[in-house]
Amino acid sequence: MHRRGVGAGAIAKKKLAENLRLASRPRDTEFLQLPAKYKERGTVLAEDQLAQMSKQLDMFKTNLEEFASKHKQEIRKNPEFRVQFQDMCATIGVDPLASGKGFWSEMLGVGDFYYELGVQIIEVCLALKHRNGGLITLEELHQQVLKGRGKFAQDVSQDDLIRAIKKLKALGTGFGIIPVGGTYLIQSVPAELNMDHTVVLQLAEKNGYVTVSEIKASLKWETERARQVLEHLLKEGLAWLDLQAPGEAHYWLPALFTDLYSQEITAEEAREALP
Amino acid sequence: MAMSFEWPLQPNVDTRQKQLAAWCSLVLSFCRLHKQSSMTVMEAQESPLFNNVKLQRKLPVESIQIVLEELRKKGNLEWLDKSKSSFLIMWRRPEEWGKLIYQWVSRSGQNNSVFTLYELTNGEDTEDEEFHGLDEATLLRALQALQQEHKAEIITVSDGRGVKFF
Repeated sequence: MHRRGVGAGAIAKKKLAENLRLASRPRDTEFLQLPAKYKERGTVLAEDQLAQMSKQLDMFKTNLEEFASKHKQEIRKNPEFRVQFQDMCATIGVDPLASGKGFWSEMLGVGDFYYELGVQIIEVCLALKHRNGGLITLEELHQQVLKGRGKFAQDVSQDDLIRAIKKLKALGTGFGIIPVGGTYLIQSVPAELNMDHTVVLQLAEKNGYVTVSEIKASLKWETERARQVLEHLLKEGLAWLDLQAPGEAHYWLPALFTDLYSQEITAEEAREALP
Repeated sequence: MAMSFEWPLQPNVDTRQKQLAAWCSLVLSFCRLHKQSSMTVMEAQESPLFNNVKLQRKLPVESIQIVLEELRKKGNLEWLDKSKSSFLIMWRRPEEWGKLIYQWVSRSGQNNSVFTLYELTNGEDTEDEEFHGLDEATLLRALQALQQEHKAEIITVSDGRGVKFF
């Protein structure tokens, strides 16, 4: 923010200089009139306004700095505060994560926080990719990130994760967010998943697997359409084929296992089961 | 894409690699836990290792053989007969066991000592060691690995075999 010419006086000077430059072009007669306007009509008034603007900008800058020092710690430590802060920014049309430089990221450290979180998310997804093909529930991602951060790190909420992932998405890293039955599946490998694939994933969420018959019954699709989707999921490494299931082939989705497992056991058992 | 109905190895090549790796790991853990150092293929087929009654799933014999071959390639399995009906299974490769044994020998300053095979695996001195209770077949292979490195020599002693460490 400490660029040259931040004060209002400098802005006015700059504008005058530019007008003078334009005025020296013989063809543009309109611009010739502008500097004259300044001189003729209420130069004093303009200067007054500029002086006021300058004072306000200075006050604004001071307030921002005060805000930053007061709340920087809070932003890093408190997930609920972060949510409210983000909502507030959204209301006034500011995206604190929009750029790496500038007030929000540098003074508040908001950018750093989400950038670091993004890196942790990528690490978790890479580590588990061999198991789930690049698809993970938000819950499992949350558990793993918290584990990775250790006992003394700042708390991180699911809202934080979603925001960080949205940023990763915007960077074109192949991340995707797929809503399924009340939660989200986070896609970290740029597998091509269209609407058909997504809706089948959502169907599979109940039991951890899905069959051609189930797809036909619930979604009213033709056999061929169902088969193509399942073949694609197999090809992307997201689904495992089970030919020994009673009746017909079952297509299992490892990405959904921990979610299923957590529904059947208590929180205590879950904590003990995690490696 | 005609697939035999009995062939549950995954069609996706990458997934199949993960599947094989998971099976290998399971076999070694199972044998380590049940202290089984050798098995016949028939036994394996019926054991809870490859036949999960509760889940109603069993790995067919062709797939079992692929898993066993994978273990052989990794150095954890050795066929005990030409017809590949029974095998030695080592949850640690012979070289790894050899290393552990040699480390103990050096640590306790017993280079240039002679031991009977029994002393190594059942003697009081080795009670706290991981190789205590190791089966003879695996032990022999471990010592053979050390022999190749000129760190040991398998010799004959009064009523069996022994080893000298250098």
